[in-house]
Amino acid sequence: MSIRDWPIKRKLTAILLLISGLVLVLTSVAFVTYEVVTFRQTIQTHLATRSRILAANSTAALAFANEADATEILAALRYDPHTVAGALYDRNGRVLATYPARAAADLIPGAPEPDGYRFEGGRLVAFTPVAQGANQRLGTLYIASDTKAVSDAIRLSGIIAIVVLAIALLAAYALAAALQGRISAPILALAETATAASTRQDYSLRAPKFGEDELGTLTDAFNQMLGRIEDQKQELQQHATRLEQRVADRTKELEHRNEALRRNAAELLAANNELDAFAYSVSHDLRAPLRSIDGFSQVLLEDYATQLGDGGRDSLQRVRAASQRMATLIDDLLKLARVTRAEMRTEPVDLSAMARDIVVDIQRAAPDRPVEFAITPGLEAQGDSRLLRVVLDNLLRNGWKYSSKRPQARVEFNALEENGERVFVVKDNGAGFDMRYADKLFGVFQRLHSAAEFEGTGVGLATVRRIIDRHGGRIWAEGVVDQGATFYFTL
Amino acid sequence: MALLKAAFTVLTSALLLVQTPRASEYQVKAVFLFNFAQFVEWPAVAAPDPQMPVIIGILGEDPLGTFLDETVRGERLGLRPFEIRRYRELTDITACNILFISRSESERVAEILAALGKRPILTVSDGDDFAKRGGMIQFVNDKNRIRLRINLEAAQAANVTISSKLLRVAEIVRTPRP
Amino acid sequence: MNAGKILLVEDNPDDVALTMRALKSHNITNDVIVAQDGVEAIDYLFGTKGRPAPTDLPAVVLLDLKLPKINGMEVLQRIRADERTRLLPVVILTSSDEERDIIDGYSLGANSYVRKPVDFVEFTKAAQQLGLYWLLMNRTPPPPRGP
Repeated sequence: MSIRDWPIKRKLTAILLLISGLVLVLTSVAFVTYEVVTFRQTIQTHLATRSRILAANSTAALAFANEADATEILAALRYDPHTVAGALYDRNGRVLATYPARAAADLIPGAPEPDGYRFEGGRLVAFTPVAQGANQRLGTLYIASDTKAVSDAIRLSGIIAIVVLAIALLAAYALAAALQGRISAPILALAETATAASTRQDYSLRAPKFGEDELGTLTDAFNQMLGRIEDQKQELQQHATRLEQRVADRTKELEHRNEALRRNAAELLAANNELDAFAYSVSHDLRAPLRSIDGFSQVLLEDYATQLGDGGRDSLQRVRAASQRMATLIDDLLKLARVTRAEMRTEPVDLSAMARDIVVDIQRAAPDRPVEFAITPGLEAQGDSRLLRVVLDNLLRNGWKYSSKRPQARVEFNALEENGERVFVVKDNGAGFDMRYADKLFGVFQRLHSAAEFEGTGVGLATVRRIIDRHGGRIWAEGVVDQGATFYFTL
Repeated sequence: MALLKAAFTVLTSALLLVQTPRASEYQVKAVFLFNFAQFVEWPAVAAPDPQMPVIIGILGEDPLGTFLDETVRGERLGLRPFEIRRYRELTDITACNILFISRSESERVAEILAALGKRPILTVSDGDDFAKRGGMIQFVNDKNRIRLRINLEAAQAANVTISSKLLRVAEIVRTPRP
Repeated sequence: MNAGKILLVEDNPDDVALTMRALKSHNITNDVIVAQDGVEAIDYLFGTKGRPAPTDLPAVVLLDLKLPKINGMEVLQRIRADERTRLLPVVILTSSDEERDIIDGYSLGANSYVRKPVDFVEFTKAAQQLGLYWLLMNRTPPPPRGP
C-alpha cells in the first residue's frame, strides 16, 4: 500500500515516530559525540596532569643524570593501568630511564618527538618538556596510554544511547498510538459519517464532536451541511409528493373529462348518425306523399275539371300549392341539416366573384325585374366555398326578394373595417324590419313577414347563421321598416 | 608497515647510542655545576639586583677547561645571566654564588671553608671527603657515574637552601662531631 | 317510336301510376315493366328457376333507390357486374337529392340521376324529357352475342 493510502491513524503514528525517532537519534549521536570528546579531553587532561607532575618530579633526576631515581619516578606509572610505557630523555635526547624498567625497544621511541599530545596507533601519546625554572630545558618525558578507556567509554555511551533510544521510541510509539486518536478519531468519525450518509443516503446522521478545535468546527460545518441536505431533501420530497398528488388529481380529472368527452362524442356520433338517417329518410319518404297529393290533384284537375267547378278547382289548386310549399320547406330544412353536418374545407374564397355568379343566377330566373346590384370587387375571405355560397345566396336573394316592392330596388355587397376586423355587408332598400324583432330574424321558421307579403320558409337566415357560426364569425342585422335592411357578418 | 617502522626505530636508536660519545667526567661536572643554580636558593641579600649575574667561581687549577663556559653560554636563571670567574686566592672571591674548589686546593679545604664562613656561597668540590669536612656538595665517582653527596647542615649554616629534589638524588652526610 | 321496353323499379304504386301517366301523356307508349322491389328487378333481368331471363333487354331502367329487400344501389351494382347488362342504360329516378346518393349512383355506373319533382307538372315534363332522350335520341350499344 503506498504511504499516500495509509489510514490516517497510521500516518499520524508514523509521523510522530519519525519525528521523535529523528530527535532521539540526533540527541543520541550528540550525546555519544559529547561523551567521547569529553572523555578524550578528560583522559588527555589527566595524562597531561600526570605528565607534568612526573616531569616536575624528574627534574633533578635528569639534571643530575640519576638513572635509579628516574626509574623509580617512572615506576609510579604502574598505578595507572592504562599507561603502557614511559621514558625520560635527557637534554641530548638520550634515554635516561624507561617504564617498565626493562621495556621492549618498540615501546619507547628512540628519540623524543615534538612536545604535545596525540592519539596514534590506538594510543594516547604525550611528550612533556622537563624543565626547572622558567627556561632551563632538562629533557623530555614520554608517556603512552592505551585508549581502551576511550573505546570503553564509547561503547558504554553507545549502549546507553541505544537503550535510551529504544525505550524512548517505545514510549514515543505508545504515546503516539494513544495521542494520535485525539486527531484521528474526529476525522475517522467524520469519514465514517460521510461514507454512511452517502452510501445509505441517510442525511439524518450526525458526526460526533470531540472538541472545539478546527476539527470541531469542521464537524459542526459538516453536520450543518447534512442538516441542510436533509431539510432540502425533505422539502424536495414534499414538493415531489405534492406534485405527484397534483398530477394524480389532474390525471383523474382528465380521465373523467376524457370519459365524459368520449361519452359526449359517442352520443354526438349517435345523434349525428340518427340525424343522418332521419334526414335521409325525410329526403326520400316525406316528399313521396306530397308528390302523390300534388300529382293526383293535377290528375283531378285535368281529368275532372268540368265536374269540379270553380270552387273545386280552386280548392285543388290550394292543395297543390300547399304541398309544393311543404316540399320547399322540407328541402330547406334538409339544407339546414346538411350545413350542420357537412365537413368544412377552409380555403381562400373570392366572395365578390361568388356574389356576381349568384346575381347572374337570380337575374336569369327573373329577367323582367330591374334590380340594381352593386358588388364591390376583390372581397376575399377564408372559408368553405360551398357553405359561403349558401350564405351569399341567401342574403342576396333576401335583398332581391324584400326589395321587390321598390320601384328602384338596389342590393349592395361590400365590406368595412371595424376594430381591425373585416365586416362584410349586404344591404338592400327593401321592406326592412322592426328592430324590436331583430333577435328573431335568425331563428328557424321565424318570419317577420307573412307568406302572402313575401314568400319564404324561415329557414334561410337560420342556415346562414349556422354557417357563420361554424366559421367562427358573427352575424347581425339592422333595419328600419320600409327603409331597407343591412346584414353584417364576419368570418 | 607497523613492523617495519618499529624495526627502523630500533635501528636508529642503536646507531644514536653508538655515535654519541660518552661525555667526559668534567663535561658532566660542568653541566652539574650549571644545574645547581636551579635547585639552590640564596638569601635575597646575595642578589639585590634581579639582573645581577649568577656567578660561578672556580678556585684553584681549573680542570673544566672550556666545558663550563660552553655550558652556560647564553643561559639565564630568570633574568640573570651566568658568569664564570676563576680565582687564585681566597681573597679574590667577592660576589660569588657557586664556588667549585679544585682538587689542587684539597690541602687547604678547611682553611678555605673557614674563610668563607657563613657567606651564602654554594661550595662544590670533587675532593675526597669534602662534604664530611664541611663542604656543601661533593662529586663522587661511582662506576663511571657521578653521584652527589650533600652536607645539608653546612648549607643551612650558610643560609643556602637546597631543593628537596636535589636532595632526592644525593647522599646526605653530616660533619662528624668531635 | 322505338319499341324498346322500359323497366320501372318502383315500390310506391302512386309513383308507378303517376309515372305511367306522365309517360303516356307524352305518347310514350313503350312497354313498361314494373318491378316493385330490387329482387323483382334482378329476377326479371337475370331470370329465375321458373322463368328464364328475357332475350331482349329493356331500352332503359328507371331505378328508384329506396326499395324493399334489395335497394336500388345494390341493383345497380348487380347490373354493372354482369357482362350481359354491363352497358344497360340506368337512370336513377328518386325523391332524394342527397349528395351522397348522387355520388354513389354515378360511382356505381348510373347513366343519369333525376330527382322526382313534387310538382306534378314538373314531374310530367321530366318524364317526357327522359322518354325522349333515352328512347328516341340515345343510341344503345349492340346487344352482346348470346352463347
